[in-house]
Amino acid sequence: MPTFIRTLLANLPHIALLALALILPAIIKNQYHLQVVIFIGIYAILVLSLNLLNGYVGLLSIGHAAFYGIGAYASAKLMMEAGLNFPLAMSGAGLISAGFGYLLAKPTLKLSGIYLTLATLGFNMILFLVLQSWMRFTNGPLGIMSIPAPSVFGWEITEKVDYYYLILFLVVMTLFSMQRLLKCRFGRALLAIREDQLAAEAMGVHAARYKTQAFVLAAFYAGIAGSFYAHFVKFISPDSFYINESFILLAMLALGGQGNLIGPVVGAAILILVPEIFRSLQEYRMIVYGSVLVIMMLVRRQGLLGGKAYSLRLSYFDKKKEKEYIRGDKFLPEEQG
Amino acid sequence: MMPLLEIKNVTKDFGGLKALHEVSMQVNAGEIVSLIGPNGAGKTTLFNCITGTMPPSSGHVTFEDKPLDNLPPYEVAAKGVTRTFQHIRLFNQMTVLDNVMVGNDHRGRTGIFSALIRPPWVAREERKTRQKSLDILSLFGERLLPRLNQQACMLSYANRRRLEIARALVSGPKLLLLDEPTAGMNPHETQGIVDLIRLIRDRGHSILVIEHKMKVVMTVSDRIVVLDHGKKIAEGLPDEIAHNQEVIDAYMGGRRVGN
Repeated sequence: MPTFIRTLLANLPHIALLALALILPAIIKNQYHLQVVIFIGIYAILVLSLNLLNGYVGLLSIGHAAFYGIGAYASAKLMMEAGLNFPLAMSGAGLISAGFGYLLAKPTLKLSGIYLTLATLGFNMILFLVLQSWMRFTNGPLGIMSIPAPSVFGWEITEKVDYYYLILFLVVMTLFSMQRLLKCRFGRALLAIREDQLAAEAMGVHAARYKTQAFVLAAFYAGIAGSFYAHFVKFISPDSFYINESFILLAMLALGGQGNLIGPVVGAAILILVPEIFRSLQEYRMIVYGSVLVIMMLVRRQGLLGGKAYSLRLSYFDKKKEKEYIRGDKFLPEEQG
Repeated sequence: MMPLLEIKNVTKDFGGLKALHEVSMQVNAGEIVSLIGPNGAGKTTLFNCITGTMPPSSGHVTFEDKPLDNLPPYEVAAKGVTRTFQHIRLFNQMTVLDNVMVGNDHRGRTGIFSALIRPPWVAREERKTRQKSLDILSLFGERLLPRLNQQACMLSYANRRRLEIARALVSGPKLLLLDEPTAGMNPHETQGIVDLIRLIRDRGHSILVIEHKMKVVMTVSDRIVVLDHGKKIAEGLPDEIAHNQEVIDAYMGGRRVGN
């Protein structure tokens, strides 16, 4: 059997999922339902980016909404005041957010454990205050209104369906790029640092560099999600990027399971859908998020899909040749050691 | 002959406690040197000083005539000195193969952008790392190879010790530091490690090993260095050490306490 057919068969579940996602707007006619699905997409990217830090390299960040906010404001400003077109504004938002990620990572990665976590929390607080009080640039608590709708190379994005396909493209690109990053030297090094930094360094892994890179990448993805959010909702204010947003992301990650690429998407989907279904209990949704965190920590700490290396395998090159080395049961029974 | 590793007057103190006091020793290329001494003699501290985990308070460590002190651990590893740990430190949630492949990280060129774009050499590099890891794992016979995709924490105790040695070997060290490689092993497994240490030496790696089992030390070492209370009290061939009165005193407790 030719390799590409085998690859095709192995990836059949993903292809089926993607096909389903492509025809979804034909199934969901209700514009409001489609909007919920779009929000799942935004949060999927955010939680996936948080997962790079919390799940892969083992840095607990509880201020991730800061990068989401930087992306949103940067994108709105770049398009409205610098006059850039949407693709440039979105990439710019990602890069600016990544730059802030670098600036935060450089001094704070020397801190360990809880101190780094507090630094990310502080960063989120500072960003919120800056957005709130820098009237001339951010328009303070009033926020920025009537952000222009995006258009990508002549494709005017105005309808919900258009937004849906744009966010689908972004989610797929996020998954695809993360898969590529994590299934090679880079991902291995991140996991090694999470498991035992001292041992990883003794084996030649430059931990500080990898951690900085992970931080910058996570900020980049979050910035992209922020940019989409700004142009989708067309109104941004500091309230959308407060710490409770960071904790919602954490709850989604804890629910879905970290250290793989499916868990974050599942977690985001559930925690967006459940409050929408129980719309009448809207005031209690923070209680839902809080209880989810508590219950998951008590019952299943690794999350619904955590603990196993679920992966969207898009490339099989790293699975070759292993079988030759597994010589059945010829090996001797193990002595007790 | 120029020594591969030279330790000159290394002192390490923690507050008032001198864990190492003016220790000097060398390891030559192709040698197996054992480091022995009672508990708390400073053996592991010396390892930490060599590998950059804890820089020495004073004194110098040079490797191939270049200074190693004040280098961070990952640079020491890249220069060709890797180690195993007294208390096993594996990447528990990762598979056996991934654990070993991490050892090759410092030779990799794949960065973020090349990982995304995946030019052909990335796949080649990945295959090379994999092949090299499999070659090293095959040194352990049928112990580790059939368990490539098991998580490291699922391995038996002895296999975890073996995996640590394999991981250190993949980084291609000129000098391998083994911290009690046979701790907790039965006589049969211990013999396996002794054979392995010789095999590793024959493949061109020099070895500095901390060991408590005298039978292992006496059979495997070219030279023995004895530490006690942070000081080097003896150095020599296995036969000389076995009959050295000071060493016997240190081990048998013939010396007065507090002196």
